[in-house]
Amino acid sequence: MAMIKITIDGHPIEVEEGSYVLDAAKKLGIEIPTLCHYPHMVPYAACRICSVEARDGKGWTKIVTSCNYPAWDGLEISTDTPRVLNARRMNLEMLLSRCAPIPVLQKLARQLGIEKPRWGLGEDTCILCGMCVRVCDEVVGAHALEFSERGIFRKVATPFEEESGDCILCGACAKVCPTGHIVMEDIEQREIIHDEITLGPNAAISIPTRQAVPNVPVINTEYCIHFNTGGCKVCSMVCPKDCINYEDTEQYEDIKVGTIILATGFNAFDPSPLKQYGYGRYSNIITAEEFEMMNNASGPTGGKILLANNKEPHAVGIIHCVGSRDTNAHPYCSRVCCMYSLKLAHLIKERTEAEVYNFYIDMRTPGKGYEEFYERLSNEKVHFVRGRVAEVTDWAMTPEEEDRLVIRVEDTLIGMVRRIPVDMVVLSIGLEPHKDAEEVRRLFNISCSSDGWFLERHPKLGPVSTFTDGIFIAGACQGPKDIPDTVAQAGAAAAEAMVLVDKGVVELEPNTAYLTEEFCSGCKTCIPLCPFSALSFNVEKKISAINEALCKGCGTCVAACPSGALQQNLFDDEQIYEEIKGVLNYV
Amino acid sequence: MNAERISSPRDLDELRKRIINQRQENKTIITICAGTGCLACGCEPVASAFKTALQQSGLDKEVEVRTTGCHGFCERGPLVVIQPQGIFYQRTKPSDVKMIVERTIKKGELVDRLLYRDPQTNEVIVHEKDIPFYKRQMRLVFGKNGFMDPTSINDYIALGGYQALARALTAMQPEEIIDEVKKSGLRGRGGGGFPTGKKWASCRKAQGSPKYVICNADEGDPGAFMDRSLLEGNPHSVIEGMVIGAYAIGSNDGYVYVRNEYPLAVKNLSIAIKAAREHGLLGKDILGTGFGFDIEVSRGGGAFVCGESTALMASLEGRTGEPRAKYIHTVDAGLWNKPSNLNNVETWANVPLIIERGADWYAGIGTASSKGTKVFALTGKVNNTGLVEVPMGITLREILYGIGGGVPGNKKFKAVQTGGPSGGTLIVEREWQLDQKKAPQYKSIPKDEEAMSLIDLPVDFEELTRVGSMMGSGGMIVMDEDSCMVDVAKYFLNFLQEESCGKCLPCREGIRIMLKILTRISEGAGKTEDIALLEEMSRAIADTSLCDLGRSAPNPIMSTIRYFRSEYQAHIIDKRCPAGVCKELVSHAIDNNCNGCHACFKPCPTDAIIGTIRQLHTIDQDKCIQCGACYQICKFDAIRRVKRGEGGEIQRKAQEVWKPKTKTQPAAMA
Amino acid sequence: MIKTNEVRQSTDRAIDEIVDRYGAKPNALIMILQDVQKHHRYLSRDDLKSVAGKMNIPLAQIYGVATYYKSFSLKPKGKNHICVCTGTACHVRLAQVIIEKFETDLKIKAGQSTPDMEFSLETVNCLGACALGPLVTANEVYFGNMNATKVDKLLARLKGKEIEEKAEEEAA
Repeated sequence: MAMIKITIDGHPIEVEEGSYVLDAAKKLGIEIPTLCHYPHMVPYAACRICSVEARDGKGWTKIVTSCNYPAWDGLEISTDTPRVLNARRMNLEMLLSRCAPIPVLQKLARQLGIEKPRWGLGEDTCILCGMCVRVCDEVVGAHALEFSERGIFRKVATPFEEESGDCILCGACAKVCPTGHIVMEDIEQREIIHDEITLGPNAAISIPTRQAVPNVPVINTEYCIHFNTGGCKVCSMVCPKDCINYEDTEQYEDIKVGTIILATGFNAFDPSPLKQYGYGRYSNIITAEEFEMMNNASGPTGGKILLANNKEPHAVGIIHCVGSRDTNAHPYCSRVCCMYSLKLAHLIKERTEAEVYNFYIDMRTPGKGYEEFYERLSNEKVHFVRGRVAEVTDWAMTPEEEDRLVIRVEDTLIGMVRRIPVDMVVLSIGLEPHKDAEEVRRLFNISCSSDGWFLERHPKLGPVSTFTDGIFIAGACQGPKDIPDTVAQAGAAAAEAMVLVDKGVVELEPNTAYLTEEFCSGCKTCIPLCPFSALSFNVEKKISAINEALCKGCGTCVAACPSGALQQNLFDDEQIYEEIKGVLNYV
Repeated sequence: MNAERISSPRDLDELRKRIINQRQENKTIITICAGTGCLACGCEPVASAFKTALQQSGLDKEVEVRTTGCHGFCERGPLVVIQPQGIFYQRTKPSDVKMIVERTIKKGELVDRLLYRDPQTNEVIVHEKDIPFYKRQMRLVFGKNGFMDPTSINDYIALGGYQALARALTAMQPEEIIDEVKKSGLRGRGGGGFPTGKKWASCRKAQGSPKYVICNADEGDPGAFMDRSLLEGNPHSVIEGMVIGAYAIGSNDGYVYVRNEYPLAVKNLSIAIKAAREHGLLGKDILGTGFGFDIEVSRGGGAFVCGESTALMASLEGRTGEPRAKYIHTVDAGLWNKPSNLNNVETWANVPLIIERGADWYAGIGTASSKGTKVFALTGKVNNTGLVEVPMGITLREILYGIGGGVPGNKKFKAVQTGGPSGGTLIVEREWQLDQKKAPQYKSIPKDEEAMSLIDLPVDFEELTRVGSMMGSGGMIVMDEDSCMVDVAKYFLNFLQEESCGKCLPCREGIRIMLKILTRISEGAGKTEDIALLEEMSRAIADTSLCDLGRSAPNPIMSTIRYFRSEYQAHIIDKRCPAGVCKELVSHAIDNNCNGCHACFKPCPTDAIIGTIRQLHTIDQDKCIQCGACYQICKFDAIRRVKRGEGGEIQRKAQEVWKPKTKTQPAAMA
Repeated sequence: MIKTNEVRQSTDRAIDEIVDRYGAKPNALIMILQDVQKHHRYLSRDDLKSVAGKMNIPLAQIYGVATYYKSFSLKPKGKNHICVCTGTACHVRLAQVIIEKFETDLKIKAGQSTPDMEFSLETVNCLGACALGPLVTANEVYFGNMNATKVDKLLARLKGKEIEEKAEEEAA
């Protein structure tokens, strides 16, 4: 579109022909008040507060709404003549007579100099700006809200004022409402954990974690409005570099490599099956991971440690060994929980006035400075209770237990069962293998231990290699460990992998099997037998093929081959006969 | 006669000749007005009575009974006009039919009591064309109504219909047609008065396809029924106009948006469209020229605001009828964002006349700024109510007295409302004179406002706007001294509040608040600063409203304040309603004129009338709810409407002097 | 009125037929709703939902349209539907008196229906028969030049028997 010149309050500016005066004024830094305007939506021009005076310099003048008035060459706009200000003031006074004292209106009234509205105040919290209807229609595309009735009875409503079947619960209407008239309500019979503090992801597009690599936002297609209704796409409208691609999908890539390091990590134990701890049943029982999220300055509470009702706790209980050292969960010790539990105790002591209780079985603090840290905490008046927690309950037996969580535990050091009232319970969850560890290990032809962790070649002498050459493991996928140990193991795995890469050649044992192609019938008997996946089927030639680098010379395939196409080096029939002959000669 | 496709102008000419030849010249035709008004009066039984009577007399082959569209003289319905003489019978009842057949049809004699008698001169006038109501009109657009059956396309063709269409499509270029319309000076008849030719030219120039041609038949102004009668009585004229317009603009799709409250108009229009299609005058390949254009009838849902062009188009699209800003004109982006040309029914009906007789002829009628004729719906307190078509520039005096026949009863004219709720109330004759010396509290009223009477105002677009009203769609409501101007303003505001779409703030809240203020004033709780407040609010509302409903909402208030400020002051300062309408400020009382006829007894809804036959009646001041029913009924001018609380005094005085009446004549009431 | 399944099904079929008659065009929505309303003299929840489904228009839009225009009623109307014209000409001829008379006699306000659903009273904007003001329609039959006495007569007639073509009598 052509560029034209207009003036606003005497200031000239060049704009696109047909663009709106309100946007031009914004570029000049001139503030025009609005009530029903929202970027990325078609201007509605219902509130008339953005009225300005338009002139052509030849005597024609008209009051127009700046939000949707298209600019033309030579247009002169005045935003603050007495006529305009009177009109704005009158309109706001009339609106005030319908509405309750809403902050956004009070603010505007102060701006326009209205001290005492002539017709008093009303009771409506809706200012009929239409933003909720428009966002639901234009941006979201759900069409669940509409204006009903007309004239002075006009109001925003869902059909028949009942719960709308078209509403997709996106919350866009509540977000754009300037007065708070629309609120998101919890719908009954839906389980919402931590209803007031959401400790989970709460945006359809966000950077998943602060340390995400790459550090860019990603769209959660389950919550994204566009993927639900085809509407919205506001993100692509605001992105200045045009980075949003809705058609992006997962792609499969084939990469040829010589060595593989598996570092797939661990899964945090979900304490829900352990009903005695009440996780998911009572508010304010959270896992250590969720506590870390809350504690983070960029988290939902801005780094404050708060209960679900936004108050600070007076007492916090930290329960060790949740999911570890437990015959009902995992029998092993997860190694890291005691130390991080102590860290959490220290954090709580630092940040709040709360009493802190740690409930432990044994305190496992190996490592540099760790025992000293434990000492320090005892001196900081953290209460250490040696005993397994029997249950966490909200059933109060004394007045001081009312409205609080009660931890029932056997304190073995004093030999008594105690009931300790606390406000917040933090569960120190253990580490466990990923649920799909078994599938992953099969893919790479390695083994798992009985606990489900990947199996190293030798517990003492081969911590990073596996029984399959070229495949190495590092980190928590091999077993629970803390960060220093993980880093060390990772270095070791990398070094071993580098050795192979560096050498460029692989030394093989001589006693590998070999295939005589003419004799192979393609019966495929040998292929599943190889424990080292050294045999594969050549589809074109319709016969088997051996990867000599993988073959360890176990001889299983040789024994199984019905036609004798497979033979083993150094173990030919003839060679064996000759060896026998030699031995017999000696005897 | 079967429908035969007309595929050239010559075909049309031949068809016309054939129809005329087949009809007997000078055949007696009994035309019976069958517009909605006369239907409500019972013209259908009259028509069937005629058919029966003629059959019984064996005259059904020689004499034709033809039900036509609205003749315009709604006050006197059911109307029967016997052609070719033009004998005019009014207020005909089925029981009169036999006599008409016996005396007029068979013997050529007149039935005197059914003839029109001029209320001012008492003269009996036989022929329609001599009746002042008709004589002083210039019935160019409306004239054919009385001669044709609206459901018969042959009648229209026989009267010369569709000749203009034939000429436009075959002998003129689109630009020529637009120039002709521009030259004629035709301005929109729906109220806006925008030059029609200019609008067509803009639409033709606009980018986009398809282009739409729309007829606005959502006549929402209360008191206006011109468009209804045109659509009911002569739908083909509108169709012809639309086809010509579509050809000039370059459109193939047309819509007529009709109010849901006009079922007969929808019916007759649909019949006409079907007939036109069958004859090849609508649809594909019109008149064999290859130009195609078709019309779809769409009904409204009951919203006055849908008469506004952008709201109409929203309603046509199946959405709620909310207007939008017109910074981008509808000729550029209208219906479904395509170029759309919207015109009123009467505007379209003028187009064939202009093309047939030429722009110069048309421009010779009317004033410098307003050409041609305008159909007004003259209603209210005037003797001859109905539809009148007059040339622009005629004075109010000629309309109200010459055609309207003056005000009924012993009353005096007071005001005329034009332009409906968007227009203004103009003072016609000042009856209630204000003596400023006796009432010093009225000193604040400017001298020039007080003295005016606009009875000699020439009626055209510019003049009406100049004096604070507007032409509007043509509703002209006459009020006499029994109408209170504050009540009138309140009535219009109440109407607008109900019809406001509610989208924009100033209209939705402003009208509500102004209505509250007016109600307060009419209830005797007015404050001296109220008038200034209303003026201030009016400025802001007129400045910032989104559409013309809101922009012109202050007009009724502003015009009544301008011309009747003293009446407002009476309400506010004196707590008195001079016209005796505002209930809280008035007391009804029976005075000395009462002759005990007992007619007021039954109509009283609260049984407040006390009295027996031939005795002086009184109104129980506590029970009376000031409804005015007794005032309406009393033929002896005995009901007084005085300032609240003074009724008791009047009735006391009456009791003192009252004597039983003997054989009194009732005061003349029409 | 309890809607049995049969009634609902036959209404749905009728709705389908009406929508098809207009070619399911979105711009015919108002006319479609008007025709649907003729069935039960009002638009029920189910009716609107059926139309929304058949025409593939969001229910919220249909609800907005149905509550915006005066010709639609979402509440059942009485057997006898009385409309008093409140156009300017009728107002000047004291239509307000007629309205108040009806309200007093039927004991309801304009816009309501009597508890026995025999009568519903409404005001309507100008019907275009201004010469006959004040005007009342009862079941779409026009009655002109009304006054308080004629209101009594009309109500008595409606309460007694069916409306016939009696315009001749009232034309006096």
